[in-house]
Amino acid sequence: MSHSLHRYGTEEDLKNDFCMYARCAKGVNRDHPGEKLKKILDIYQSVHFVNFGSSHAGRSYINGLDIEEYRKSLDHSYGIIINFSEREAVKNVLARLKEEDLGISIVVSGLIDEVRSICSEVGLKPHTATLSLGIFGKKEKLPDDHVIKLITMCGHSLIGAPLVENCCEKVRKGTMTAEEAADVIARPCTCGIFNVVRCAELIRKQPAE
Amino acid sequence: MRIDTTKCIGCGKCVQYCMLKCIKKSGTGKTCVIDEEECVDCGVCKRAQVCPADAIFMPDECFEYPRAIRMQFSDPGVQHPNLKAWGRGTEEAKTNDVTGKFSRGEYGLLLEFGRPCTGTRLTEVEKVTVAMSALKIPIIKDNPLYGLLKEDGSGRFKEEFVHEKVLSAILELNMKEDELETIMKTLMPILDTVDTVVSVGLVTRFAEDGSLPVADKLNNMGFTVRPNAKINVGLGRPLMD
Repeated sequence: MSHSLHRYGTEEDLKNDFCMYARCAKGVNRDHPGEKLKKILDIYQSVHFVNFGSSHAGRSYINGLDIEEYRKSLDHSYGIIINFSEREAVKNVLARLKEEDLGISIVVSGLIDEVRSICSEVGLKPHTATLSLGIFGKKEKLPDDHVIKLITMCGHSLIGAPLVENCCEKVRKGTMTAEEAADVIARPCTCGIFNVVRCAELIRKQPAE
Repeated sequence: MRIDTTKCIGCGKCVQYCMLKCIKKSGTGKTCVIDEEECVDCGVCKRAQVCPADAIFMPDECFEYPRAIRMQFSDPGVQHPNLKAWGRGTEEAKTNDVTGKFSRGEYGLLLEFGRPCTGTRLTEVEKVTVAMSALKIPIIKDNPLYGLLKEDGSGRFKEEFVHEKVLSAILELNMKEDELETIMKTLMPILDTVDTVVSVGLVTRFAEDGSLPVADKLNNMGFTVRPNAKINVGLGRPLMD
């Protein structure tokens, strides 16, 4: 899936938003990868992360995913994804993954120049890029830019404009904090790539109306 | 999805969770109802667990074909049975370092119909699949959309599926580098006619020096390449060059 590709925003507000996906390939390394995925989960969790989740369990870490249950489920999975808000965390994880040489494909979503620079620092040679050319078609169906920045952080399109608009309005009225709003908005995103840190920052900077 | 109106108390807490705005107050205002023709069975309203009366449920007919494809394309917790894959059901370039699905000298085009948050009927996807079939551009087989197409090479979907609605679906195309301009010139006017939005991605190999030569090509064709991307960092083994 285009999933973490089409996160909309400016270079400034995307610079602290990284998704990392370890994905096994059908016909190559997808049979019984449980132990390797658990190792990757350990590496992910050794640094500061924002969120991860499980579509199969129907919830993300920030929405109460039971980590031990999740670990067990990796025996029947083929991928594991996480969101980071710090460049250093991404760099440390990639360095560890290179050292472990588990052979599972790793995809990092983020600013192209930033990811390329991190790869260079840890001695990795990027293989393939999926570039975003933006949104086409009947764009009058879309909400405003501020809302698009928030809803595109859910890679399965499960977070809609009504939820975002209602939460943003509560923050404007002072009945909800930006962090509380980010947690509510994040709930429908089960795979856990929704970055609540970036969300709260964007809400704090939201237009007056 | 459906709301049991004998249980619903009309509080409306579920309404904001529907990204397609399919949940509305009924005529009497005493309950909420789901427009089942527009609903894509993603299950978000149910999973939100905000219904105090536990009135939201997935009726049996949603599991029956052709309707069943709605939840397969819309709820990432439901598998595409033919591929044994979740989500929108494609590995695309995520594993390209070990599969070599997109080689040097080729590009992949990923057209995600319905995203963000508008949903799409397969009629809209078909406008492109028909045009690409006419150009003899291959539609990638390892993708849940492929199995819904007629087998006559026309690019048309089987009658039973074509009017179904899904939250989003990704059409994957593979092309030679020198076909890019022709394909985009054919594609863009079609995207102007679809009754949904389409998020467009392009898969390319990095050059030996780490650059992305296609970016200049796309800029010259009038496209704006966004600053963020998905990058396969080459840790898969055995590595396909």
